[in-house]
Amino acid sequence: MGSDLLFAASTTPAASSGGFDLLGIVMWPFKALVEAILVAWHWLFTSLGMQGAAGLTWVLSIVGLVLVIRAAVFPLFVRQIKSQRKMMEIAPELKKVQEKYKGKRDQLSREAMSRETMALYKRHGTTPMSSCLPLLVQMPFLLGMFYTLSDVKKHAVAGEGGVWLLTKQLTKQFYDATLFGVAPLHTSLVDAVQHKPAGWETTVAILVVLVILMIGSQFFTQLQIISKNLSPEAKTGQAYQMQKIMLYILPLGFIFSGLFFPLGVVIYWFISNLWTMGQQFLVLREMPTPGSDAAKAREERLARKGKAINSEGKVVPKAAYDAEQQKMLEDAERLRAQQPKRQQPKSAKRAKKDQDHAKKDPEKNVNGDKA
Amino acid sequence: MSALPAYSRGTAHLHAGDALRAVPLVPRNLVLGFLTAYRAVVSPLYGDVCAYYPSCSAYAVGAVQQHGAVKGAGLSAWRILRCNPWSHGGVDDVPPHSDFRHALTPRGFVVPSRKD
Repeated sequence: MGSDLLFAASTTPAASSGGFDLLGIVMWPFKALVEAILVAWHWLFTSLGMQGAAGLTWVLSIVGLVLVIRAAVFPLFVRQIKSQRKMMEIAPELKKVQEKYKGKRDQLSREAMSRETMALYKRHGTTPMSSCLPLLVQMPFLLGMFYTLSDVKKHAVAGEGGVWLLTKQLTKQFYDATLFGVAPLHTSLVDAVQHKPAGWETTVAILVVLVILMIGSQFFTQLQIISKNLSPEAKTGQAYQMQKIMLYILPLGFIFSGLFFPLGVVIYWFISNLWTMGQQFLVLREMPTPGSDAAKAREERLARKGKAINSEGKVVPKAAYDAEQQKMLEDAERLRAQQPKRQQPKSAKRAKKDQDHAKKDPEKNVNGDKA
Repeated sequence: MSALPAYSRGTAHLHAGDALRAVPLVPRNLVLGFLTAYRAVVSPLYGDVCAYYPSCSAYAVGAVQQHGAVKGAGLSAWRILRCNPWSHGGVDDVPPHSDFRHALTPRGFVVPSRKD
């Protein structure tokens, strides 16, 4: 998700300290919620008989946290997919708008095209856009997650608890928890290299692998969107050029932040990216953007199975598709036959002359054709 | 970065002689600088998500140009609230200032207008 990226790019690992902590007050409810989810999972796993202090229990709790947060925004994703489907119905009209502005790259034409496209969506009460508010709303929750997981170290060293349910004891337990018995969840790459605790080589190896996986999965998902799920029209804009540049700049930023992220945060991020990749895979396979490479691949796949997509965007057997196409062709031909022949355009002067003729002598040819 | 609509772009430049007259425009230009950076760096990450034309960030640029940092921020916040999964989107332009006396640069910054 884009918001993950933004948030990573804009936060510094160390929380500010001292003075009137406005950020702390604003963030309190979000941190408290994240703590509640984390502690609830931890409680569940320990009641199932797992060891409370074990690293695996805490890692699974983090995975649970990812699941809850991503599942909470899942309905929005479904909503978007549904409106994507409705897009099929307005595809012909959309195509008309695109034809109208074909090859026109100047800013005014592009603006006019955007306006017409958006007006079209509104007229039909559907839009393929996911809207801006959800992205913004997710931000404080992600920040809350980040602070909760990364402040464990600070709190444990100071002998404190978190803001709410993550008590002093649980904070200490989280702080002491190690992955595979060596890598503490609160350690970042920089920490491990600087302080060289026992078994730090393994810790570094685990962190390096996870940071690479985290960046790799992020890059892969972005690459898939850009290379497979954009229509040819979208690939002509300025935005596309920018997206292509950012695709390569962002991983660089992540390498930097990857040095300072504690292991717990890296795990959260990686699992979250896996979820995004799964969603992306589904979208590319089942409901790609019309006209994109992914959509072409899907049509080919369906054709191999003897199926096709009908005019309503549903998958039907090839025979039904052909019958529908045949019917549409016949309808179009019948409509054309019914329509009156096109009249030759004539000048205003001539039209007036013909009219006068017709008034004077209704018997004569009204069309003014030479007799 | 979705493109700015035509009414957010101009051809004016800041002239040295207008430096003093530009002082009241500093707050909105600071906000515009932030918005330009956001639109260059962060917007491309999302791709096109906004349900409206102009996009929320382009709307914010227009609103701050026309109405200044404070009222512009208010209008933008209201727009972002409206840009939710239940809205149908569509074309939604910034209400222009009834008496806009400044000029715009090609990048969308606000400078004092000149008589000539």
